[in-house]
Amino acid sequence: MIEISALRHLILDIPLLRIPEGHCMVIGGNGAGKSTLLGLCAGMQVPLSGSVAIGGREPRSSQVGWVAEFPDRTLVFESVADEIASSLRFQHRSCAEIRREVDACAERMGISHLLSASTRELSGGERVLVALAAAIIARPLLLVLDDVDAHLDERSANAVQAAIAHSGTGHVVQSTQNMETAAAGDWIVCLEKGQVIHSGTPETVFDALAGSWLYPESWRG
Amino acid sequence: MRLCCSGVRLTRGRFDMIADGVFEPGIHLVSGRIGSGKSTLAHILAGVRPPAAGVVSAEGITTTGLLMQFSEYHVTAPTVAGEIRSWGPEPEAILAETGLTGREGDHPLRLSRGELRRLHLACMLAQPWDLLILDEPFSALDGRQKELLCRRLEQRPAGIVIIMTHEPLHLPACDMLWEIVQGTLMYRGRIPDALPAWDGAPSQVRSLLDRGVVPENITPAAIREARCRIRG
Repeated sequence: MIEISALRHLILDIPLLRIPEGHCMVIGGNGAGKSTLLGLCAGMQVPLSGSVAIGGREPRSSQVGWVAEFPDRTLVFESVADEIASSLRFQHRSCAEIRREVDACAERMGISHLLSASTRELSGGERVLVALAAAIIARPLLLVLDDVDAHLDERSANAVQAAIAHSGTGHVVQSTQNMETAAAGDWIVCLEKGQVIHSGTPETVFDALAGSWLYPESWRG
Repeated sequence: MRLCCSGVRLTRGRFDMIADGVFEPGIHLVSGRIGSGKSTLAHILAGVRPPAAGVVSAEGITTTGLLMQFSEYHVTAPTVAGEIRSWGPEPEAILAETGLTGREGDHPLRLSRGELRRLHLACMLAQPWDLLILDEPFSALDGRQKELLCRRLEQRPAGIVIIMTHEPLHLPACDMLWEIVQGTLMYRGRIPDALPAWDGAPSQVRSLLDRGVVPENITPAAIREARCRIRG
């Protein structure tokens, strides 16, 4: 359970929000506060007032995987293999184990052919896939993904959702502008002008949003 | 006015692509998987990067606009107002249009990625370009903003608009379809006739084509209309 209480931070004003374990999708218009909320959950920002807790602990004392809305900002290393291996290396795992994990993770993400490439020569979509692989490989307690599907084609986006589902991570918080993707989540939080206007299962939230631009195209009669 | 590629070869790191074809006035959609070379092609067509071989010739084209895939690469000024002026327009109208009034003194990178995208698109679309190349213009925009952008692109005066995207749903009415398949830029033809040959068609279009129905165009409205035809 992620619990946010009495939160006031920049545009966000959230008296109480509880997100159950599973895959939570954060939706809303541009500038609604999605990235700010995700940054707080990832511990990239600390609330000005109020609190964010993941299973009762602060984000900064939990293991969190994070892919930013500007994917360039999370790529640190020169080669793709080093980038994906980085979080396991910081845990001082053995070289043999790291190599095995990196190969398996790259294969699941469909990016084995990129392992020897430089992170600088990747296309926009490939950067997102590499950043995501680096974020999920250490099986974090929480995975925070900011609009990762914006740079992906449909097939890659589906592969990514499958890789996330099999990542073994208990909590995923993901923002998206694709309502078909959002509808496949376990939980939806809808933001407007910094406030949570809906929070619940996809059925209940999209029921409340029927007739709005956020309603999934494939659900329309 | 037209843009011609003859024997154009693109290389970048491990990747290699060839492009031949002529872009006439109208809206062109270029589709291709991630890493297929859409951005590199956009840079070469815009003339900001030379091809490894071949020639891109712009006939009767005097102004070219390029929207890059990542908005942050466009930022050249430390304030939102300065960023707008760097494109030419006066800030007031653009701020009002993008709903960013009050943010003029902020650093552009303090905006959300969708807001920054909207800002750059508004600055670009405020000017007439003979050739306008948009690399993933829809990414980071919300559904409403994507639809607004589609309508604005459709209403632009004659010129060549080339859109590189894998946006699956919110697409404008397009005239010509291109696809990058296995390192080759393929001209699929005029829409709608070209649609059955579209390998990478988004699933909503693909499901119609699989049932033998060809939508009039690729806008959500045209796809909805075609779906009604199936139901009778």
